[in-house]
Amino acid sequence: MTVYETDLPGVGRKFELDHGDDGRIVVVLHHDGRREVFRRPSPEADSEKLFDLDIDEARRLATVLQGTTFETVDTDALSVPLGGSIIEWIEVSEDSDLAGETLGDAEVRAETGVSVIAVQRGAETISNPDADARIEAGDVIVGVGTREEHARLEALA
Amino acid sequence: MADLLLDAGIVVTAVAIAGAVAWRFGQSVIPAYLLVGLLIGPFGPSAGGLSLSLVEESEFIELFAELGIVFLLFFIGVEFSLEELFAEPDRILRAGGIDFVVNAGLGAVLGLALGLGPVGALFLGAVLYPSSSAVVTKSLSDLGWIADPESEAIIGTLVVEDVVAAVYLAVLAAIALGDAGGGVLLSLAESGLLLVGFVLLATLGGRLVERLFDAESDELFLLRVVGATALLSGFALQSGVSEAVAAFFVGAAISETDLKLRLERVLAPARDLFAAVFFFAVGLETDPGAVAGVAPPLAVGVLAGVLAKVGSGYLGGRAFGLDDRRSLRVGLGLTARGEFSLVVAALAAGMTGVVGDFVPAFAVGYVLVTSVLGTLLMRYSGRIERAVASRAG
Repeated sequence: MTVYETDLPGVGRKFELDHGDDGRIVVVLHHDGRREVFRRPSPEADSEKLFDLDIDEARRLATVLQGTTFETVDTDALSVPLGGSIIEWIEVSEDSDLAGETLGDAEVRAETGVSVIAVQRGAETISNPDADARIEAGDVIVGVGTREEHARLEALA
Repeated sequence: MADLLLDAGIVVTAVAIAGAVAWRFGQSVIPAYLLVGLLIGPFGPSAGGLSLSLVEESEFIELFAELGIVFLLFFIGVEFSLEELFAEPDRILRAGGIDFVVNAGLGAVLGLALGLGPVGALFLGAVLYPSSSAVVTKSLSDLGWIADPESEAIIGTLVVEDVVAAVYLAVLAAIALGDAGGGVLLSLAESGLLLVGFVLLATLGGRLVERLFDAESDELFLLRVVGATALLSGFALQSGVSEAVAAFFVGAAISETDLKLRLERVLAPARDLFAAVFFFAVGLETDPGAVAGVAPPLAVGVLAGVLAKVGSGYLGGRAFGLDDRRSLRVGLGLTARGEFSLVVAALAAGMTGVVGDFVPAFAVGYVLVTSVLGTLLMRYSGRIERAVASRAG
C-alpha cells in the first residue's frame, strides 16, 4: 500500500492512503499541531472531513488504531491486580462522613469490606493503621478489596 | 508617552474588534483591518459633525507597520520551500509562469492604458499579480479544499508567486528609493549585490544560521530571530534596498534548517500583531475619497483582474493535470489579493507624481474587493462549477 506525502508550504503536510475501491483517506498535519482527517470517496469527488484532532488525541487514536492500546498511568485511579481483590487509592473529600472519625468508629471494614492498609496524609504515610487512627479530609485511604467493596468505600469517602 | 500608549491601545483594540467581526462572517481579517484603518484614520468619514477619526499617524503605528512588512515577508520566506519548487519543476513553473505573464501583464497594460507611464505600469503589474497566501490558505483550510488535489496547484502557484514577487519588489523598491535620491540604476545595482549576498546566505549558510539561532529557551530564540531580522532589514533599507525583500531572504535562509517548525510556533504571534498594525496603517494612510476617486478604473481593473486570475488559474490547474472542475477551482481559489499588493501600495505611497497618488488608493480598493470576493467565490464555487458545466455541456 502506498502513502502519498505532499508538502503544503504555509499549511503543513498532507498524507493520502488508498482506501476502498478508489477512495482515499487524507490526513492533513497543520503546523500548529492540529490534524484533520478526510475521506475522498473517488478521485473526482470532493473530500469530506471526518474529524479533527489535537496532537494528544491524535497520538492516543494512533495507538488504538495500531492495536497497541494501553491504559495510561493515572495516579487517581491506580489499581493493581491482587487475585479477586485489588488495591485502590481513595481520597477522602471535605464533606465526607469519614472525615474526623477513627477507622474503628467508622467501621470501614464492616461497612464496606475494604481492609485499610495505609493512610496517606500529604507526604506522610501511616501504614498498617490501627482502629484508633483518625481519618481527615484530604487523606488518601489505601485499601484492599473487590471492585464492589471499593465502590462502597468510594461512596462514603 | 501617554499619547503613544493610548494610540497603541486604540489601534490594537480596533483591529481586535474588526478581526472578530470578520471571523464571525468567515472572512479573512485583512480587509477588516484595512477598513477599520480607513474608518478611524485621519481621513475617516464624519456624519452630522461627528467624526469617527480616532487616531493620526504616529511613531507607534509607523514602527509597528514597518515591522509588520518585515515579518510578513520574513514568514513568506520561512514558508517558501525550494524543495516544493523543484519537486516537480515542470508543472509548477508552467503554472507559475502563466500566472505571472497573464496577471502582471494585465496590470502593466492597464497601467499604460491609464496613462501612468512605464513606472506606474510596473507598479500596477505588481498590485495585480500576486494572490494573497494569507487569505487563500485560510479559505483552503476552512472549506476543506486542503485535502483535494487543487490545493497542491494553488499552493504551488503561491510558492512561485512568493519568490517572483520578492524579486519584483526588489526592483520596485530600487525604483522608489532611487526616485527619492540617487539614481535608479545605481540603486538597482546595489540591491542586486545585496540580494546576491542574502541568497548566498540562504543557500550556503543554513548550518551557520541554525547554530546561531538555536537557543535553549523559546524566549532567547525569539529575541535572536527578531533582533537579527530587524537588524538585517534595517541595514538593507539604510543601503537603499527593500527591507521587505531582505526579510524574505533571511526567512528563506532559516527555512532550510530544522528551526522552521519552532519559528512557526514562537514567532507567528509576533508576526500577527505587527502585520495587523501594518494593514491598519495602510487603511489609515488612505483617503477613502481617493479610493472613491479611482472607482471607474478600479471597477474595470477588478473585473478584468478577476477574470484573468480565474483564467490563468484554470490553465495552471490543467498544467497540474487536473480535470476541468478542479482547474476552475484553482482559478477561483487564487482570486484574492492581499499582503503583497499592500506592500506595493506602501512602497508607491512614497513616490511622487501620478504613481504616488494613484497606485496606493487603487491597491487598497483592489485588495478590499478581491479579498472578500475571493473568499466568496471559493465558498460558492459549487454553484459556479455547476453553472459552467451546464453551459459547457
